[in-house]
Amino acid sequence: MNDGDQSTNLLEAIGGAPPAESANIVEVTDIHKFFGHNEVLKGVSMTVKQREVVVVCGPSGSGKTTFIRCVNHLEKIQSGSVKVNGHLIGYREENGKLVSDKERNIAHQRREIGMVFQRFNLFPHKTALGNIIEAPIQVRGTSEDEAIEMGRKLLARVGLAHKEDAYPAQLSGGQQQRVAIARALAMRPAVMLFDEPTSALDPEMIGEVLEVMKELAREGMTMIVVSHEMGFAREVADRVVMMDEGLIIEEGTPEVFFTNPQQERTKSFLSKIL
Amino acid sequence: MLVVLALTVAGCSSTKSTYHYQWNLFFQSIFSPDGQILGGLWLTVIISIIAQVIGVILGVFAALGKMSKVLPIRWFANIYIWFFRGTPLVVQLMFFFFGLSVAKIYTWPDLTLGPLTIDGPIQAGIFALGLNEGAYMAEIVRAGILAVDPGQMEAARALGMTPGKAMRRIVLPQAARVIIPPLGNEFNNMLKTTSLLFVLSVVELYETFNIKQGQFFAPFEFFLAAAVWYLLLTTIWGVIQSWIERRLARGTPGAQAAGPSLTARLIGLRNNSGNQAR
Repeated sequence: MNDGDQSTNLLEAIGGAPPAESANIVEVTDIHKFFGHNEVLKGVSMTVKQREVVVVCGPSGSGKTTFIRCVNHLEKIQSGSVKVNGHLIGYREENGKLVSDKERNIAHQRREIGMVFQRFNLFPHKTALGNIIEAPIQVRGTSEDEAIEMGRKLLARVGLAHKEDAYPAQLSGGQQQRVAIARALAMRPAVMLFDEPTSALDPEMIGEVLEVMKELAREGMTMIVVSHEMGFAREVADRVVMMDEGLIIEEGTPEVFFTNPQQERTKSFLSKIL
Repeated sequence: MLVVLALTVAGCSSTKSTYHYQWNLFFQSIFSPDGQILGGLWLTVIISIIAQVIGVILGVFAALGKMSKVLPIRWFANIYIWFFRGTPLVVQLMFFFFGLSVAKIYTWPDLTLGPLTIDGPIQAGIFALGLNEGAYMAEIVRAGILAVDPGQMEAARALGMTPGKAMRRIVLPQAARVIIPPLGNEFNNMLKTTSLLFVLSVVELYETFNIKQGQFFAPFEFFLAAAVWYLLLTTIWGVIQSWIERRLARGTPGAQAAGPSLTARLIGLRNNSGNQAR
C-alpha cells in the first residue's frame, strides 16, 4: 500500500515530532563513569535543545561511545545526572539524593530515547517489519494494525518498502542500519542517539544511511551522533563536540570547529581524519 | 492360544542344555504387540514427554537463576544443579518415592485427573526425572543464552523493554536455536532413562518386557524385542528432531546445512561439508 509513497518524511510517518516537555531535551550534568579503577568519563556535561543536532567526535578511547551509552543508561554512571525531556534517567531523587531506579522505571524512561548501534543489533529472528513493530506493540501497547501501518510507512521512507518480509540476514549492512533507524523511530522518541552508525558499513553503503540521518535532522529530530563522518557534521550539525580522555575539550559550530579549532588535540585529530 | 503354545515350547526348552529360541515370542512382541506392551509403550512416551517438559521449564528457571544478579537466587540455582547432577538418578527416585512416603513427608496419593488416575510411583518418577533433567537442561539453556549476542539484549532494552520482556521476546527465542539440538539429545536419553522407573515398579516399556521374560523364561527374545521398541521410539524422535531443526533454521544463512542429516545423527557421524557452510 505504500509502494507508491514517494515521500521521505520520516517524522510524518510516526505522526509528527513527539511533544517536547522541556526546552532542553538532553541535560547531562557532570557525569563520571568508571570501569573498575579506570575513569573513562571525568565530568562531562552537555545540553541539547530541541531540534538540535550534536556530533560527538574524538579518538578511540576518548569515552564518546561510553558517553552516549550513559545518556540512555546502558552504562551506569557513578556521579552526575542525566535528564531527558525533563526526566532523570536511571536514578530518581529522594530527599535531595539520587538513588538507583527500578529496572521497570528505567525501561519506561528509555521509551523517549531512540538508539542506533554501530552493529545494527536487529533482531535476527524477526523480519524487517517485525523488528519495527515489536517495541511499539510490546512496550507502548500500540495495536498490531496501527503498528504495522506505521512500520510500513517508515520502511517506505527509508527506501525499503519492498523488504518488509526480509530477515536481517538477507539485508545488506546499509539496509539493516536503515531498518534499525526506522525501528528506533517507531517508538516516537524525543531524541535519537547514534553510536558510530556507519563505522561497521562498507564504504559504498555509508551514503544511504547518512541520507536517512540527514533527512531526520532536517525534519527537526533532536540528535546526538557519535561519528567520524565530518561531511555529515559539516552539513547538518548545529554543534560539533570533541572528546578526549574522558572530557569534552572543545565544542563549537561546524564552521568554527573545522576552520578554526582552538585546541592542539583537536587540530591534530582533525588533520588525521580529514 | 499362542501363549499356551509358547509356554509349552518354553517348558521343553528349559530341560535342554542348549537355549531353544522362541522367535515367535519376539516377532509377536514386535508385529502384534498385546495390550501390556502397548500400555508400557504409552507410559514410557507419556512419562518422557511430561518429565522433559518439566525439565525444560526448570532448566530455563535454573539457568536464569544461575545468571541472576541476586546472590541467594544464584546460590539456590547452583545448589539445585549441584545436587541433581551429583547424585545418581536411582537414588533420587528411591529417595523421593520411598524416602518421602515412609517418613510420612509426602505419601504420593493417587492423583485423579478426570477419567485418568495416576498412581504414586508414576508421579514420583515423573517428579524425580523432571528435577534431574532440569539440572542438565540448566547448563544447556545457559549456554544457549550466552550464545546470543549481548547487543540483542541492549537493543531490546534501548527500545524500552524490561529485562524480563527482553529475555522472553528477544533473547530466549534466539537461544532456542542453540538449545534445540542438545535438547533433542536429552529427550532421546529421557526415552531410555525412563526404564529406571522399574525400581518403583512402574510398568513402563522395560518393566513390561522384564515381566514377560520372567513369565516365559525367554530373556533373549523379550529383551531383544524391548531393544527394538526403544530403537523405534528413538528413531521416530530422530526424524521429528531433524524436522524441527530444519524449520528453526529458516531465515538464517546456510539454512540447508543447519544440522546433521538423519542418518548422520543416528549413526553418530557429523556431516563435515554441512558444518563448514555454517
